[in-house]
Amino acid sequence: MKFSSIKPIAGTLIREIFAALLLLVGVSVVVFAVLSFAPGNPFSSILAAPGAGAPAITGKIWQYLTWLGHLLRGDLGHSTRSGLPVFDEVIRTSLYTLYLTIGAMAISLCMAVPVAIFTARRGMASATGWAMTILTYVFSALPAFWFGYIVIYAAIHRFGFFPLAVGGSTADWNWFYFFLPVLVLGFCSCGLSEMVRYLREELVRVLSQDYIRTARAKGVSVWKHAFKEGFLLPVTEIVAAKVPFILGGAVVVEQVFNWPGMGRLAWQAAQDRDFPLIMGITLMAALFVRLGSLLKQVVHIVVNPRASHRSE
Amino acid sequence: MSIKMKVFRQHTLRVSDYSQVPIWRKAHPVDLACVCYGLAVVMMVIVSYASGMNGWFPFDPQAIQMDLLNALPNTEGHLLGTDFMGRDIFSRLILGIQAYFLPGLLAVGIALALGSICGLVSGYRGGRWDAAVTYAANLVDSFPRLVLILLMIAAFKPDIYIIMAVVGLTHAPTVTSMIKSKVIFLKQQNFIEAAVSLGLKNRIIIAKHILWYNCRALLIIQATLGMAEAILIETSLSYLGFGVQEPMPSWGNMVQSGANYFLQGHFWPSTAPALAILFTILGFHLLGDGLNNILERKQGR
Amino acid sequence: MTDQTVLAIEDLHAYFYTRSKQAFIRSVDGVSLSITKGCTLGVVGESGSGKSVTALSIMGLIQGMPGIIGGTMRFLTANGPVNLLQGLDQHVKIKRDSGRILTVAKDMTKWEKRIQGRMRGLRGSQMAMIFQDPRSAMNPFSSIGDQIRETILHNTAVRRRKQAREKAMDWLARVHIDAPRVRYHNNPHGLSGGMCQRAMIAMALAAEPTLLIADEPTTGLDATIQSRIVDLMAEIKTELGVTTLLISHDIDVIRQLSDQVAVMYGGTVLERGPANTVLTPGIEPKHPYTAALLSSIPDRRLIEKKGFLNAIEGDVLDTINTPKGCRFYPRCGQVNEKIATACLNTEPPLSSIAPGHDVRCWLFEP
Repeated sequence: MKFSSIKPIAGTLIREIFAALLLLVGVSVVVFAVLSFAPGNPFSSILAAPGAGAPAITGKIWQYLTWLGHLLRGDLGHSTRSGLPVFDEVIRTSLYTLYLTIGAMAISLCMAVPVAIFTARRGMASATGWAMTILTYVFSALPAFWFGYIVIYAAIHRFGFFPLAVGGSTADWNWFYFFLPVLVLGFCSCGLSEMVRYLREELVRVLSQDYIRTARAKGVSVWKHAFKEGFLLPVTEIVAAKVPFILGGAVVVEQVFNWPGMGRLAWQAAQDRDFPLIMGITLMAALFVRLGSLLKQVVHIVVNPRASHRSE
Repeated sequence: MSIKMKVFRQHTLRVSDYSQVPIWRKAHPVDLACVCYGLAVVMMVIVSYASGMNGWFPFDPQAIQMDLLNALPNTEGHLLGTDFMGRDIFSRLILGIQAYFLPGLLAVGIALALGSICGLVSGYRGGRWDAAVTYAANLVDSFPRLVLILLMIAAFKPDIYIIMAVVGLTHAPTVTSMIKSKVIFLKQQNFIEAAVSLGLKNRIIIAKHILWYNCRALLIIQATLGMAEAILIETSLSYLGFGVQEPMPSWGNMVQSGANYFLQGHFWPSTAPALAILFTILGFHLLGDGLNNILERKQGR
Repeated sequence: MTDQTVLAIEDLHAYFYTRSKQAFIRSVDGVSLSITKGCTLGVVGESGSGKSVTALSIMGLIQGMPGIIGGTMRFLTANGPVNLLQGLDQHVKIKRDSGRILTVAKDMTKWEKRIQGRMRGLRGSQMAMIFQDPRSAMNPFSSIGDQIRETILHNTAVRRRKQAREKAMDWLARVHIDAPRVRYHNNPHGLSGGMCQRAMIAMALAAEPTLLIADEPTTGLDATIQSRIVDLMAEIKTELGVTTLLISHDIDVIRQLSDQVAVMYGGTVLERGPANTVLTPGIEPKHPYTAALLSSIPDRRLIEKKGFLNAIEGDVLDTINTPKGCRFYPRCGQVNEKIATACLNTEPPLSSIAPGHDVRCWLFEP
């Protein structure tokens, strides 16, 4: 990266951060709107109920703004079930879910990328390419909850340990417990077939570009030239796009494996109608998604010299 | 001489300009197989829904037979065996389709309708409309589907149809972006300018030209993928306990209640509905991707 | 083939199969060319006559299927003349019907493996190619200087990056790019078309290749820039004496830069010979197509005299349904009754009508 290009890059970055903040504001409005359909006062743990004579719309807006103010100060209220502050609960569980998300994304990339590269070069003519593609389709249609049970059963009977108790099981296979839910989430919840299709299509498109032909004519390595546009950019794009899917899948997988993450907490909160908790979890999940998207934009801007000259 | 020679055959010496090679010759056989499988799955779903609606089951799905628990497939006429309460699994699977068929159609309908409108507006008008639609699409995309649904369930315990409407809403941004890119591509073609200059001022007619003639395949493909998504959400929800409740079967809650019997060695009550989910969603995915390859991709695989 | 011939192509065939019509597009259907050392061979022809496909075949850059299916291409490598398609016809089986190819069975993987292995040491270092659209032909994610440096590092004996950088800047100066030290770091999208084309010429020549192939180097540029690039190429020709294969549909460019010329139509060469004989209107004998081409060039005096432009009647050849006889017969204005049946039924061979001048026409057959 040359020093001369830092200034326009910084400008575009600031624009992107501003856009992300705007979206987060929108997210908070949506969450507020959904919760206000709840009977009674769903915000009771944060705000006092509005006065009896308060007019409808302006009262709502004022309620929203006060609520937002509390939010920004870190006060998300207290869980109606456990009484603990929602903020701490959400932060604690989100770390577990973050681990699941990153691990699952890594696993699904490890599966999707080789298949995409292989089928991009050989096409569907080869038997291995065909078999791998069928496998990705099967995995993306596999219900995560059933596959999780199969894995747990295999763990109990083949490896003789009960992977549902944290820390309390036999010392040998403790590390396994951290690996299984990531495995199931990575295999089943990522929309593998979509990932493979997108990566392969982008790679094929880039490989047919003129500048790749020039690289071939020069005799130099094609992969070096195709890497940025054909691999780095599509991978970050698809990773950012799949984060919401993984978070949704985490709800199911954490249930299966009794994993103390945000998903299981969300399920609990929905069962108990614990408004502050579910609200905090939704906001946190949306924050994750926006952060992923922002990271992707950063990579795109840094890598692509054109992006910093135009406003994308 | 190797076996792997690729053969290119021209069938006639003279190829007419107007010869239309039929699709089953042109298309890659793998794509055709995918589409056939997908269509078979769709047929089966529709037929099962119809038979479930009219109450045509091989056995009563709620009939408990305590003497025939956890039977394996093909015992005493039960095609897929019985579950842990002796109920016929095949009939329960058919009944389970009721849980997602109509709601899924609703989700798909909303996704396509909303997506097309937003895509057309933002592609055709551009400018501020485009900015607004993009903002809304990004906003909707920021929520993981299940988390948003859980939020709604916590807030006001909605009906499955309202949940599916929201699922359709969350699928709409994908449709929007595809239609928008298609519209932008078509706008650069001259026939749009020609239509406008010919006085075809009615924008609705132009939308028909763009939408009906050129976006049909796209919409069908997105419909299949949207249906697959809806099935997955519905089964996940009923697995979590928020959808259809026992004893009414849904494929998700069948998996969940059957899973308790894994440790006793009875896999089938849980696996049968899971395989049903697998093959159905696989069918929709393959149908969508196969059609995509045949209709949308201009060059060969 | 003498030691002075850098490239000699004999009877090259390259077909592409379309699934949508289940037929072959016969892009290159029997092309024979040769270039001697230090010479520039210009290839003229309309769009679709197979010029670019010939160039890509020489470099081994054909991507479609089946691609090259026959012929020989002798190239003068550093180790002596080599047939690039040596021994590859064992991987192709052709079935004809009344002389026309109907079925091709080709082992694509083996062919690709062998040809890529053969081209590996040649592409970039002994054969270089410049393309039509310079801005898309250069990597937008990397600066032009870095791309030139990459060629130098890969294809010449220079091993140190600093040294290669200096050489790249030298080359940028040589192709008359102003402020080479600053322009080195520019990305292609920030430069004009003319500058990108100069950079691409520098990139191709930096490895000092034996053969330079230029595929429509001026076509994508504005008219004023075109003449500058043509001047640059003439300068390079006199200074460096690079053997060049120049492809264009612009006859003026070919006339200014080439010593020898080949006229292509419908996938074959119709006429080849010295440039000043073939491309000067009025000098006979000449193929009817060449004569028609030359007379259709807009000329002010001609238009004033006649009042309209001369166009060649008929449509461009359909490369899927190539005719049995002479390809130009449907549009030819010089057919007479003596040769009409021959023109309709049999394709004329390429025969010599003067030393160094060959024509494919029944008019000149004894």
